[in-house]
Amino acid sequence: MRRRTFVAAGISAVAAGTSISCGGNQAGWRFFTAEEARAVDAICEQIIPAGPHPGAHDARVVNYIDIQLTRHFRKHQETYRRGIAGVEAAGRKKFGRRFVELSPEQQVEILSDAEEKSKAFFELILAHTRQGFYGDPRHGGNHNMVSWKMLGLPSPPIRGRERSVWPGFFCPA
Amino acid sequence: MKKLVLVLGLLAAAVLLMAPGATLYYETGGGRRCASCHEMQPVYDLWSSSSHRGVSCGKCHGDAFTLDASFHRNNAARAYSHLRHELPEQIRFSHQYVQAMTGPCQNCHRQEFASWQAGPHSATYARIFLDKKHNTGNMLMDDCLRCHGAYFERGIAGLVAPVDRAGPWRIVPQGVANMPSMPCLTCHQMHREGPQLHKAGVEGRVAGPSQEIARPSLAFFDRRTQQYVPIQDLPMPALLDGPRPLKMSADRRQALCYQCHAPAAAMQVGSGDDRTGMGVHEGISCLACHAQHGQQTRASCANCHPKMSNCGLDVEKMDTTFQSAGSKHNIHWVKCGDCHTRGVPRKKEKTV
Repeated sequence: MRRRTFVAAGISAVAAGTSISCGGNQAGWRFFTAEEARAVDAICEQIIPAGPHPGAHDARVVNYIDIQLTRHFRKHQETYRRGIAGVEAAGRKKFGRRFVELSPEQQVEILSDAEEKSKAFFELILAHTRQGFYGDPRHGGNHNMVSWKMLGLPSPPIRGRERSVWPGFFCPA
Repeated sequence: MKKLVLVLGLLAAAVLLMAPGATLYYETGGGRRCASCHEMQPVYDLWSSSSHRGVSCGKCHGDAFTLDASFHRNNAARAYSHLRHELPEQIRFSHQYVQAMTGPCQNCHRQEFASWQAGPHSATYARIFLDKKHNTGNMLMDDCLRCHGAYFERGIAGLVAPVDRAGPWRIVPQGVANMPSMPCLTCHQMHREGPQLHKAGVEGRVAGPSQEIARPSLAFFDRRTQQYVPIQDLPMPALLDGPRPLKMSADRRQALCYQCHAPAAAMQVGSGDDRTGMGVHEGISCLACHAQHGQQTRASCANCHPKMSNCGLDVEKMDTTFQSAGSKHNIHWVKCGDCHTRGVPRKKEKTV
C-alpha cells in the first residue's frame, strides 16, 4: 500500500471510530430524553415518595424503566412518549409550568387527572414503578437494594448448608 | 481495475484500522468519551468517584496498543450492538474477562497477588469441583457457584459433569479447569466509591489511628443480583452457641467472610460452612488470625501468645491444629475443657 493510501485509510478509520460516539446528547439515557427522564423520575417519586425510607428517586426507578423500554417494554415506548407529553401539557395548561417545577401538591393534582384521563399510561407507570422499586437490582432499579433494606431483607442472605463431608476440615459434633 | 483495487484496499485498511482508531479516540478523552455510549455512563460515573479513578480505563481494559485481537474484535462487536440498539441490561464482565482482569490487578498489586496465589482462595475450578471426597459425600449444586465461580455464566451442569455423587467428574468448558474459582473481582469492586488511594507508608501498616483497616473496594459480588454489595451493607450473622448468643467481633470485614463461610439457617456456630472462633478464641475477628490474601495463620499466634495465654503452656506444643493438622482440638473451637479433661482449675474457670 502506498503511503498516501495508508494515511487516507488511517484518517477514514479514525473518523469511522469517532462516528461511533453519539455525542452523549441523551445524557446517559437509553430511551428518554433528559427532560423526559426528569419528568418520569418526578412522577415515580410521587407514586413511591421518600419518607423515613428512600423513595422511587433513590431507588432509581427511572433507570429501570429507561433500560426496559429498550428491551422487554419496547411495545410501551409510544405510550410513555404520549403519556409524558400529556402530563407536561397538563402542567403547563393548569399551572403554567413544567411538571418537575410544580409543588408536590400540584404534581399530585396533575397525576390524579392523568389517572382518569390517561388510564393506560398511569397504570403502566404505576406497575413499572412498583417493579423498579421492589424488583431485583440487576434490572436497573432498586439501587443499592434500598427497598429490600427497608423491608429488613438481608441481601445477599447468609446461607450455609449442612454437609456430610468437609474435606480436610474437622467439624465439631 | 487499478481504481477498484485501490478502493478495495482503502476499504480494507479502513476496516482494519477502525477498531484501534476508535480506541485511540476513546482513550484520549480520559474516560469521558467512553461514556459517550449512553450505556457506559453509570460505569464511568462509578469509576470517576472510585479509589481507582487515577488509573485510566486503558490501563486495565486495554487500549489502542493492546495486541490481543479479541480485545479489538469485542470492542467492534460492542459498537455494532450499540448502533443496532441491542443493548444488554447491564454492562458487566464475562467470566473469561474476569479471569483476564487478574492480570491488570497483578501489575500494580504484586505482593497481594503473590499472597493470594499462594493461598487457598486462589483454588482452581478443578481443585474445588473435582474433589472426590467432597463430591461423593455432597451433591454438587448451583449454589456452589455463589462463591466458587460467581461470574460463571452457566449453572453447575455447565461447569461439571456428571452432576451426581458417582463420578468420575470433569470440568466441561475447555480451558476453565485451571482458572481460579475465586478471582480478585469476587471480593473487590474496582469501581467502588472511595478516596483515591496512595501507596500506604509504614503508618498505614501498624496499629494506630492511621492504620488502614479496609480498602474501599471490598465488596461481595452477588451472583443472584449481579451486583456488588459493599461490606457496610452486607449482613452480619447473630451466631448462637446452643441457646447462648456468641460474642462476635465488630470487624465489618468479616461480613465478606460470612457470605461464603456461612452458618446454616439455625445460626449455630460451627454449622454449615461457619468457622467462627469460639472457646478460647471467641470474639476475635477472622482477620486477626487470617492474613488477608494468603490466609496464613501460624505467624499470627505470636501476636497474642504466650503473653495472653492463660495456662502458661507453649501454644505451639499444645494439642491443637497448630501442632498437628489432625488434632481434635481445632483452633477455631478449642476450649479450656478440651485439655483440662478433669476440670478447669478454679482460678481459670472464668476463661472457659
